[in-house]
Amino acid sequence: MGNNFAMLLDGFQTVFTPTNLMFGLIGTLLGTLVGVLPGIGPALAIGLLLPITLTVNPTSALIMFAAIFYGAMYGGSTTSILLNTPGESGSVITALEGNKMAKAGRAGAALATAAIGSFVAGTIATLLLAFGAPVLAEFALTIQPAGYLSLIILAFATVGTLLGTSRLRGLVALSMGLVIGLIGADLQSGALRLTFGNLNAIDGIETVTVIVAIFALGETLYLASRHTMIKASVLQINGKAWMTREDFKRSWKPWLRGTAIGFPLGVIPAGGSEVPTFLSYGVEKALSKNKDEFGKGAIEGVAGPEAANNANAAGVLVPMLALGLPTSATAAVVLVAFQSFNIQPGPMLFQTNPEIVWGLIASLFVGNFLLLVLNLPLIRFWVMLLKIPSHYLYAGITTFALLGAYALNNSTFDLQVALVIGVVGFLFRRFGVPITPLIIGAILGPLSELYFKRALQISQGDWHILIAGVFPKVIYGILFLVIIGPLVWNFKKQFAVKK
Amino acid sequence: MDIPQDNSIVSPQTFPYMVAAFASLVGLGLIVSVLRGNHGTPDGDEPGDAFTPLNLKTMAIVATAIGLHVILLEIAGYVIAATVCFWGVAYAFGSRKILKDFCISAAFALIVYFSFSKGLNINLPSGFFEGILK
Repeated sequence: MGNNFAMLLDGFQTVFTPTNLMFGLIGTLLGTLVGVLPGIGPALAIGLLLPITLTVNPTSALIMFAAIFYGAMYGGSTTSILLNTPGESGSVITALEGNKMAKAGRAGAALATAAIGSFVAGTIATLLLAFGAPVLAEFALTIQPAGYLSLIILAFATVGTLLGTSRLRGLVALSMGLVIGLIGADLQSGALRLTFGNLNAIDGIETVTVIVAIFALGETLYLASRHTMIKASVLQINGKAWMTREDFKRSWKPWLRGTAIGFPLGVIPAGGSEVPTFLSYGVEKALSKNKDEFGKGAIEGVAGPEAANNANAAGVLVPMLALGLPTSATAAVVLVAFQSFNIQPGPMLFQTNPEIVWGLIASLFVGNFLLLVLNLPLIRFWVMLLKIPSHYLYAGITTFALLGAYALNNSTFDLQVALVIGVVGFLFRRFGVPITPLIIGAILGPLSELYFKRALQISQGDWHILIAGVFPKVIYGILFLVIIGPLVWNFKKQFAVKK
Repeated sequence: MDIPQDNSIVSPQTFPYMVAAFASLVGLGLIVSVLRGNHGTPDGDEPGDAFTPLNLKTMAIVATAIGLHVILLEIAGYVIAATVCFWGVAYAFGSRKILKDFCISAAFALIVYFSFSKGLNINLPSGFFEGILK
């Protein structure tokens, strides 16, 4: 523990060099800028900004990413409140109450409780991350390949079945991701799989291309398919973005409760920020003395879910850093950012690259603080961005996404892939298929094969090793409950309806 | 598939077969589910909402703009490809101020081109402007 504290201080020392501070500052500004733009969530924001870091040294680049990460989350909540177009599932609830508050002329209070709540939640959650992740990493060193495989399969199951409205569609998305992950040369034998003689496909499909294409191009095509000439109206802020004493009184408990709900649900693979924000909203509604205000703009309904969303995002970083397992689209992009510098997150990371991990964690604190200081005063500037006409916005997003796909390898093949995956993204949206499982499948698929092969190599081909020992058994037990539990629940509901 | 001479215990085909089995299983499940009338809810709609007909015209223009970008990039260079793409998507989404849009598109493309090639040392194809845009 004491050692970790010293490491964290070293991390702060890494951050507090003029260069790194500058990258942190640029990251917060860029992250907020891109996050504010309607329709862009944190995952796409980081994906779009990835090419920018290609030429920067790893530590500075990752510090910038940490800043972009929190910045995009802040920016997203501003858009939800003022425009009622949540950029990602975690902000849906914020839009619900926050937009009502803004319509009632209380936009300033809604923005302030969202910003301060995000800061409080982000700071507490980052502290928990700083002291929790190393402990988890130490434990993870004792996990055998078979145990890892069971963890990945659990993550597949939760991400595949908990997101979206249809469990089957989640699993279909996951299987497509797994197939994308197979493309290219097999890591161990070098056998070419699903390349169909195309030399460009030997290195596999770039994950960034998949993410940028499925989010940006898929979304643009989908919006085009439903294009009508209706304009969303940006709500104005009257007065300052600040809260009254009364607002504070009503906000601080929801902030803390939101953090308590969001962080643990991020650490266990519970499938993104949807569940914790909805849970937090439910809790605040149940505990509030002003129940009648809910649905009309209750400040608790912004404070709690916003805190839960941020704490959740930091929580997701725990398994990402300590185990190398991303369980949300955003964490997946951060993982890709690491990989583009040939750094593999996982239990060894804290030993092999301590200066990078602790620099990253320290910069999460710094980025969070910078955002609090910058955002409320700059709010009018961010609001101006919301007035960009939507046709220029989509044009910019599309063009920049294509640039992101191309600049990674300077290859037109990547662009063609992006085009195909953009169409897939459109079809997914049209038929209600969730997108995150595809991304998780594409990233974790190759990793699961690696652990699968390692396990069987240890056992000389005996498949019993896959369930040998306590750890895999516990994980598969949980998996059984996660899959069977909801099925029973569903059956009960249907039975009740028939009665 | 050519399988290289390998002495590993797990063949490179094992895992793909497992993925194929899983994909076929959920794929069949989806076919059955759709045939039974569960058509899925478009993103942003509530279950049971009336289906919004596809605006094929807008979609076609966006797809063409993206396609042109892919084709033009290495022939005509980044600036032209990006201008065409930006302008096309803006047109698709209902902007009809042709000249103003063209200026904004070209400015966007030039700013991106210079900030990437000068600021970040990421080379983008210069195409027709080779020698002029340095």
